[in-house]
Amino acid sequence: MRPLTDRENRIVRFAVAGIVIYLALFYGCKFFEKKRADYRQLVAEAQNLRQQIQPYQDKVLVVKKLMDEFHLDPVKLKKETVVSDASAAIQKAAKAGGLQLGPIRESPSHGSGKSLAAVQLESSGQVPAVLTFLASLNSIGFPVVVDSVQFTADNSRPGQVKMNLTIIILDFDQPKEAPHA
Amino acid sequence: MKKIAFLNPPTLYVEISQGWLKALHENDGVELPLERLPGGRLTAPCKEKTVSALTHFLKAKSWQPRARAFCAVDSRGVSLRHLSLPTGTKEEFHRRLLLQIEGEFPLPPDELAWGYQPLGGPPPSNGTIAKQELLVAAVKKEVVADYHEILRACGTEPVFTLAALARRHLCVQPADSFMMLNIENSQSELTGFNNGVPTNSRIIFWGSENSPGSPDAKFDALVQAIKGCSSGTKLFFSGNKPSEDYTTSLATSLGSGWQFERLATADGAGRSAAISGIQKMVEQGGEPLLPICVKHANGVATSLATLDLKKWGARVGALVAALLLLPYAEALLLKPHLAKKVAAFKSEAARLTIIDRELDFLRALKSSQPPYLDALYIFSKSVPPGTHFDSLSLNSRGDVSLRCSFRDGQQVAEFRTKLIDSGFFANVTVEEQVPTPDHQRVNVRISAQEKPIAQLLALSVGPTADEMAKDGKQSPPGALLPGVASATPSAPPVSRKETK
Repeated sequence: MRPLTDRENRIVRFAVAGIVIYLALFYGCKFFEKKRADYRQLVAEAQNLRQQIQPYQDKVLVVKKLMDEFHLDPVKLKKETVVSDASAAIQKAAKAGGLQLGPIRESPSHGSGKSLAAVQLESSGQVPAVLTFLASLNSIGFPVVVDSVQFTADNSRPGQVKMNLTIIILDFDQPKEAPHA
Repeated sequence: MKKIAFLNPPTLYVEISQGWLKALHENDGVELPLERLPGGRLTAPCKEKTVSALTHFLKAKSWQPRARAFCAVDSRGVSLRHLSLPTGTKEEFHRRLLLQIEGEFPLPPDELAWGYQPLGGPPPSNGTIAKQELLVAAVKKEVVADYHEILRACGTEPVFTLAALARRHLCVQPADSFMMLNIENSQSELTGFNNGVPTNSRIIFWGSENSPGSPDAKFDALVQAIKGCSSGTKLFFSGNKPSEDYTTSLATSLGSGWQFERLATADGAGRSAAISGIQKMVEQGGEPLLPICVKHANGVATSLATLDLKKWGARVGALVAALLLLPYAEALLLKPHLAKKVAAFKSEAARLTIIDRELDFLRALKSSQPPYLDALYIFSKSVPPGTHFDSLSLNSRGDVSLRCSFRDGQQVAEFRTKLIDSGFFANVTVEEQVPTPDHQRVNVRISAQEKPIAQLLALSVGPTADEMAKDGKQSPPGALLPGVASATPSAPPVSRKETK
């Protein structure tokens, strides 16, 4: 094979350099384009997530307000003990308000699944104490709803009323629908 | 432009004489001595010292553009010529001007720092070419180049003019033809003006150090120079506090018919008549009429030629490269960080479902609370005095039933009307109304149905602020249960919106 002339050597060198530059640009551009496309996709995903989160800022505020109102954090409640704890809290609230407690009956929920148990409570006391007790049931720290209440006059003790109360302890995994809505 | 005026540094005013340089910058002045070589150029150490001193004096900020430095130079070595050139395009005019300068001055234009002031010209008569009259001032380039170099090194953009022209701005009412004499310690500068244009300017080596009374050949030379100058008989003088003796002596030597007026200048470091004159001109928004330039552009076409194309090309290239590469650099640099944040968020996304569940549950709990206290409040407000309640039942479905005894049927009807008017109940039914055997009372059994929650939300039930205030003093009428007529108002106030 004959040796290459200087001119041919120069042409070969230029050709090699040109091919290398072309390949570098071609694959380099592809590489960077792919990186950029991935990044743009990620940015779009982040923007979607941001839009998804935005309403939760308001939701968290509402949850906090309601938790403060009911003195209740559903996450901390345990299904196994919530009925006993709620019953104890109800009795404690009644005694603290000056009510005299009568028979108390607990009955587990049957079928519907929206409540864990129902507590029937008989008590008597002054009208202000009765009303205070009714108002305080919202904030005893348990998900309770007064299903029915019956007042009767206590003829033996003037100024006092007898109260028959049915309280439902809600299942915090199964939200209940609004009454007579 | 005024909005960004704060970006521009304050102007520097400079006057350069044979032995000193005075500079004024925002009311601060400085005077620096100058050392010259026998040829009149500044020595290298002198340049270095001057640059250092001026740089320190100016305290130029790197982010600001170069400050303009208006620099007045004395007329040592300056030649003034009146030229007349045919008008033409800018390039032609410039070419002809260079040729004229080459013909009129002893040095070629390349070796001169020069400038010109257009003086207008006579209107062209028939068959003649319109001409432009010019006043050209030129000085050896190397002298002004030294000044230019110093002022550029200090971060300024110098503009040179003649000191005599600068001082002219201080003349309150200059005549058409007059002379200006600026007296320094060892020399004086005499400039003659005709029709407001300088015609000649020269340095005379006689100054305020010399005694005016003593017979002196130099003083005689000054007097002869003034007399020989055909620029009127008014003399404005300025400089290093020329004494009364001086002016008297000058007036005596010149003879009668001469008017003398001294130019008012401020005293202090870095101040002189020329600096005050330039300052006044700049404050009035003027520009030097006869700027002396070290480098001249060759008309319009050369304005681009003066650009450093290599430097600007590199800048443009860098900007274009940055424009093209930044999106890719952003992707490479920020992607890991963003990916980490997105991954962290996704791992925390389970908490969102908990928030949703809690919110649903708490809302359901709130809407499940029956409005018992509101119903009791309405009963207490509606019931007439003396009513006896036997029993009252309410449940979460909104059913209400009560047994009670009223005084007569009229009271029953009123009670029922009030319950309906309260808007709280959808219907109120008197199921049974039986008079007692003695016909003194009426036993009644009433049932009612509360309206749906959505309708009750619009109602405002509960004691008003006035009622609550009143409750603190006396019990309102009405009885909820037998023997406890004022029971309800003592209950905790419960608003409709809170209980629903």
